[in-house]
Amino acid sequence: MLAALRRRTQAWMRPRAPEPLPAQMTRNRIYVLPTASGLFFGLLLGTMLLGALNFNNNPALLLALLLAGAVQASLIAAHLQLSGLRVNAIAAEPVAAGEELRLRIALDAVDARVRRGLRIAHAGNCTHARVDAHGATIELRLPTTRRGLLPLPRLQLSTVQPLGLARAWAYVWPAQALLVYPAPETQAPPLPVPIGGQGHPQVTRAGEDPHHLRGYRPGDAPRSVAWKASARHDNLLVRDYEQQRSGELLLDWQHTSGLPHEQRIRRLARWVDDAERDGRRYALQLPAHPLIATGQGEQHRHRCLRALALLPGEAGHG
Amino acid sequence: MADTPSPAMTPATRTQVRLAAAACLLPLLLQLPATLGIGFGIGALAVTAAAWRNPLPSVLRLLLGVCALLAVAAVAPGIGRDTACAVLAAMLALKPVETFSLRDGRSLVGFGLFAPFATFLLDQGPLSLVLALLAVLLALLALQRLAAEEGEIMAAADHPHWLAAKGVLRLVALGLPLALSAFWLFPRLPTPLWGLPGRSIATPGLSDTMTPGGMADLLLDDSPAARVQFFGAVPAPEQMYWRGPVLWDFDGSSWRQARGLQALPAAPMRPAGPGWEYRIDLEPTEDRQLIALDLPTRLPDGAHLSIDYTTTTDAPQYNVSRWRMHSAPAAAFEPELPQQLRQRALALPQGYNPRTLALGRQWRRAAGHDAEGRADAAIAARALGMIHDSFAYTLNVPLASRNEIDDFLFDRRQGYCEHFSSAFVVLMRAAGIPARVVTGYAGAYRNPIGGYWLVRRSDAHAWAELWLPKRGWVRFDPTAAVAPERVYDTIADRQPGRIGGFDGLVSVFNASDWLRRGWNDFVLGFNAQRQQDLLKPLGLGALGASALVVLFAAIAALALGWMAWWIARGERQRDPLLRAWHALDARYRTLGRGRAQHETALAWAARVAADRPSAGRHLAELGQRFSEARYASSLSRERLRDLLRDLRQHRP
Repeated sequence: MLAALRRRTQAWMRPRAPEPLPAQMTRNRIYVLPTASGLFFGLLLGTMLLGALNFNNNPALLLALLLAGAVQASLIAAHLQLSGLRVNAIAAEPVAAGEELRLRIALDAVDARVRRGLRIAHAGNCTHARVDAHGATIELRLPTTRRGLLPLPRLQLSTVQPLGLARAWAYVWPAQALLVYPAPETQAPPLPVPIGGQGHPQVTRAGEDPHHLRGYRPGDAPRSVAWKASARHDNLLVRDYEQQRSGELLLDWQHTSGLPHEQRIRRLARWVDDAERDGRRYALQLPAHPLIATGQGEQHRHRCLRALALLPGEAGHG
Repeated sequence: MADTPSPAMTPATRTQVRLAAAACLLPLLLQLPATLGIGFGIGALAVTAAAWRNPLPSVLRLLLGVCALLAVAAVAPGIGRDTACAVLAAMLALKPVETFSLRDGRSLVGFGLFAPFATFLLDQGPLSLVLALLAVLLALLALQRLAAEEGEIMAAADHPHWLAAKGVLRLVALGLPLALSAFWLFPRLPTPLWGLPGRSIATPGLSDTMTPGGMADLLLDDSPAARVQFFGAVPAPEQMYWRGPVLWDFDGSSWRQARGLQALPAAPMRPAGPGWEYRIDLEPTEDRQLIALDLPTRLPDGAHLSIDYTTTTDAPQYNVSRWRMHSAPAAAFEPELPQQLRQRALALPQGYNPRTLALGRQWRRAAGHDAEGRADAAIAARALGMIHDSFAYTLNVPLASRNEIDDFLFDRRQGYCEHFSSAFVVLMRAAGIPARVVTGYAGAYRNPIGGYWLVRRSDAHAWAELWLPKRGWVRFDPTAAVAPERVYDTIADRQPGRIGGFDGLVSVFNASDWLRRGWNDFVLGFNAQRQQDLLKPLGLGALGASALVVLFAAIAALALGWMAWWIARGERQRDPLLRAWHALDARYRTLGRGRAQHETALAWAARVAADRPSAGRHLAELGQRFSEARYASSLSRERLRDLLRDLRQHRP
């Protein structure tokens, strides 16, 4: 029952629907309630007040009231920590499903007051921030479970400043969705045969042969470093797959027939990653989707993974 | 959430929390019996140092707790306020040994704040107050520090100490209006719901028994007993006898109040002259004893006059209390003495002080008897003359023997007011004159600042009353026959604040006592009655508790409103032009025609104009001017003012 009540209150709290950014914290969406230590402190103060009144002990009464006044002011100060705060933008680099999305949240305030001890939280993840006149950007990790567009959840912005006796909080619910790529298959078969690559022999991927090694250049993937060979030299050596560049790959939905729908997407995602890692040029053919022409590089990879991420689910597919 | 272990405090925070706890404990330790206070103070330092980094083993903690309780039981046995306070001090002294997590820190600070509170139950003096205020500030600082640590504010860099102190002071200043209005207006209880437990160790004061030699401590205590403000005539110093308990019964060593007589109505008294109107602010006595100038004729509600003009109050005076009274010297005080009282005033214990009894009888034989009481007066004068001629005043008196009065009158001939009055009364009773001992205070010191009279505990005094035919009870002060300066404060050495021949501190004392009186007046003595008095000038006579609650709620709402205004100010748009523009937008929003976030001012005006041509045209013009003011070259002051006015006046 308590859980139901909790859900009810949660649903009643503003904002009750996603909202466009920037969102400013105003008094009608900031909530303040005592923390557990605040309740304990309130109990102490109540006892003191009752005792002081009963014994007509004025210094004790004055002391208790002074404390109560300061505590009351701290509730307002807690409110002021949030009020006027603005969530300007939220962005994140897409990651594969199952990894944590690193939300970058840009905050600033309408005035120059420094706000310390801000906490941004969602479910179990939280991060602390300090916002001054120049604003601040903080990073919050958000778990992902499946590919596709992930609508942003309602984030809690809170603080227990200045005395830790009350928590002021407000919710931000950006009307924005972040992209989550499909999780690549872990145990995938090797890449399919290149287009028109009949004449070329399949080059073995291994190659301890020094001819196939070159010096490390910034941007090389760590996986391509030949660690054993590097150990014998002074500098890092990288396996050179120059010969393989000739073959252009077509990653086709048809290549994965026989697998379940999501499995097919995951295998293609894996192949995209593999091809990228091997430095191959590749195209991607998906059902009900124009061909993604042959290309290579980070941009191309994002375009392909994005298309995979946004593929409709099996039910939608038919 | 409650099950997750609270994170540990950093060493710096731990230090600060312990400092706050120590500051809370200090005023309480000062009020405890010295052995306990010093013992707990040293003990707290020792165990805190021992457990600075790691908690002590639980067996050791338990052992320490038991030791502390045993110490309390040994020094302050019984159940009383000071015992309870000592237990609290002991717990607080031991608590830091197990305080390591943030939550522990908070509870230590919370419990710690009970210590200054408890201190006020024992003492309400200025030192306790200053220390308590310091403790509160340090406690708030510690709480803030704990919150900063919870919010992962790296303290040193981001939150320097001076900024922290400023923040706490600001909170206190903001809360002050609410606290003060609550203090003056919150309904008080005219009578407590439950009583205040007494102290298990009594403080010396006027008591209803007197054992000669027992008052010496009191006579060396210069702290105030009462402050008196006269309205109109002021009595001469030799008339300032402040009457306390009247003692009738003597058992050979001690004098006692006559138990059975207290309920009888006040004896008849014919005043000699108009008398004096005055107000007594009595320091807390913890009993129901009141003092009044000899002899009280009119008492306020809550005070009672017994047959021998002893004054008592309805309830024990744990706090400063204020009494307005009238007194007058007596022309005839109980001129007809009932036989029962006469016997009581002549009673002497069997088998004590044979030499004194013999002397009294011998004097009576020499003086003879007469109905006018001339012989009685002659006997009294003879006794006073003897005391004046061959006795000396000293506070340094050996322990009493069985025949104490014989020793005093015939051998030692040295003593102070208790000895003089006690011996005088026994001698008079032996001579057949009804006599009794009166205790109280004699004399007072006039503070030129504020023009009030200060009665100190060192003014405690005991004198005698003899019943003489036709005149009734007459005051005789045998001590004054030896050392009038001890009684009437006539020599400069008795001036407070004076050290030897140097009187530079007198004015300091006067000023500080005057401040103390103000504190008593405005804070300590404030009660339900005074609260009503306070409201009278506002035309709010005799408010009931519910009306008071309403008044308090109104003022509290005002104070909260003031705080809320602060909030609104925090959110307010600073630029008046933008503020006016947003207000305009808000007015349209209520009609469902608010500006969308992507719309420019002109696009919005055009959209509105499509619906409402009249308003839209004006809006378009305003939007144009607004855009110019915001984005084009700066407007002149006048045109900006005009635009502001137009924006504010425009209604959809």
